[in-house]
Amino acid sequence: MLEEDPGGLAARIVGFCRFAREKGFGAGVTETLDSLTAARTLPSTDREALQFALRSELCSSKEEWDRFEELFEEFWGGNHGRKPRPRLEAQRRQEERSTWALIVNSGNSGPRAEEETKRVSGASLHERLRRADFSEVPQSDQEALERMAERLMKRASFRLSRRLTNSESETQVDLRRTIHRSIGRGGDPVELRYKGKKPQQARLVILLDISGSMSLYSFFLLRFTHALQKHFRKASTFVFSTSLVDITGALRREHLPDAMKRLSRLAAGWTGGTKIGKSLREFNERYARRTLTSDTLFMILSDGWDTGEPAALAAELAAIKRRVKKLVWLNPLLALDDYEPVTQGMAAALPYVDVFAAAHSLDSLLDLEKHLMR
Amino acid sequence: MVRGFQELGYVLDRALATAIYLLIKLGKPLLIEGHAGVGKTEVAKVLARLLGAELIRLQCYEGLDVSSAVYEWNYQKQLLAIKIQERTDETVEEKVKHIFGLDFLLERPLLRSIRAANASPVLLVDEIDRSDEAFEAFLLELLSDFQISVPEMGTLRATYRPYVVLTSNRTRELSDALKRRCLYHWIDYPSLEKETKIVHTRLPQIQVELSTQAVRWVQALRQMDLMKPPGVAETLDCVQALSALGKDRLDREAAEETLGCVSKSAEDTAKIKSEGIEKILSQ
Repeated sequence: MLEEDPGGLAARIVGFCRFAREKGFGAGVTETLDSLTAARTLPSTDREALQFALRSELCSSKEEWDRFEELFEEFWGGNHGRKPRPRLEAQRRQEERSTWALIVNSGNSGPRAEEETKRVSGASLHERLRRADFSEVPQSDQEALERMAERLMKRASFRLSRRLTNSESETQVDLRRTIHRSIGRGGDPVELRYKGKKPQQARLVILLDISGSMSLYSFFLLRFTHALQKHFRKASTFVFSTSLVDITGALRREHLPDAMKRLSRLAAGWTGGTKIGKSLREFNERYARRTLTSDTLFMILSDGWDTGEPAALAAELAAIKRRVKKLVWLNPLLALDDYEPVTQGMAAALPYVDVFAAAHSLDSLLDLEKHLMR
Repeated sequence: MVRGFQELGYVLDRALATAIYLLIKLGKPLLIEGHAGVGKTEVAKVLARLLGAELIRLQCYEGLDVSSAVYEWNYQKQLLAIKIQERTDETVEEKVKHIFGLDFLLERPLLRSIRAANASPVLLVDEIDRSDEAFEAFLLELLSDFQISVPEMGTLRATYRPYVVLTSNRTRELSDALKRRCLYHWIDYPSLEKETKIVHTRLPQIQVELSTQAVRWVQALRQMDLMKPPGVAETLDCVQALSALGKDRLDREAAEETLGCVSKSAEDTAKIKSEGIEKILSQ
């Protein structure tokens, strides 16, 4: 079919590129032209070769690579090409939420007290949502909040990762410019030129509490850590309730739903309850040596409800504190008016914490930027 | 081409063959992504041997900079030259021109790749995701125009365009600009037949039964959600280890003795053992 009509083929390829662009591929003018050239260069333009060639030209990531075959089938037709069911954005989010609900094993992770909160709309919605406590956002506004969270966190974590570089480091002689300068003096490097060292990015270690008491917050906090980890090259993320699990690898997916799927497999057998002290000891025994350095930023996201021994928690925190640059504790309960860090665990932890801040709303998470820069 | 690769010990499927064909014909760089140990780097090596071209390799790492990737001036030689020139009547401008000439330039991989004198070399930029954004941006200039600008000298152009292969382990998202300039190919873990074929091609002296068993074993491990799933390189290691130990079949004992070939972290080893080696083997 393709070989018979080379002129028609070119038009079809252009059409396909437009089709791919509509589906979110980066198939601009350059890619279209390149695809045409590629198709012309091929020794045989059977369907398979064409598919491979166009795939090489138009894809630029694993995600696109995986979607391509379906796309190709859909456009070029063929009896075995089945029509893909359009996945709605809302449906995807719903899936993410339910996966997460499964992971934290709380069964009821939906927002409580729906009737207590007033519905808001229009421009004020944006402002209100930014300040709203995650646990009090009505179901109907959850989607808007998640979209906003995605966008804002992306921006914030990107800025953060760029700022958290050590610029004050020793200098070394810049031979190139020194020699350039010395020519006029017969090659004697009288005047030395210096160059600064390349800034290094700080290391980030995040421990996220996913016990029952945190279930109203942990979904958003996970989104937050996903965004952070994306922009920090040296980041490690762990979740804990009664024991600790390394989720760095699972989170290293471009898309959160993929990451969630991996997480749900890791999560098998997790239970409620919090043993921060025990989890931290596990961290110190197994991971501390390879993740903690003197420029590490250590972040704990937890409400501090610990069913373990406070003294043990304090001892483990002290050990961590000695090895890191900054220890940050984010507590969603901090925003409550009557909250005082009197739970035994929290009280024992406070002496070792450099930054103790709230983490109940988008604004408070975005505020973190300010804390971390200091 | 498939046959050519096969003769050099690389089992090539049609999709990758198409991508390499386009790389040669269109002169576009090829970006290969995939899990560790599936033979990304090998593509460039075999391609170079197939074309009879020189292979120039640049291993990326964090903090890789222009002076170790592109060029550096030979400072000692420059200092000497300045001393020698001291008594001549040349003006400062002439002296500058002299010591910033090609004779004083130390070629690093990227510069070497565009200065090839009689044939296009193969340039392998390995693990590009490990370098930083600044370096990636620099690489763009090279990949789009095949030229390098040296401030003191001007622009150097390639007489023979190198064939460029980039590999990435996806530890970081590469910039759109870079990805748009490249052909893309994703190498997945091979199927059972393909992996068996790879083992046969690479290690023809090993008995079929043993290598098939080893391939099944590794393929089962890949389903286990390990922290570092074994790649094809690990399969080959495992088969070689088995034959070095004089084993003719893979049983529980043999699997345990060679576990270090396929499991590369303490957590994974513990996980495999708790799952039961025998159970995995019998799958």
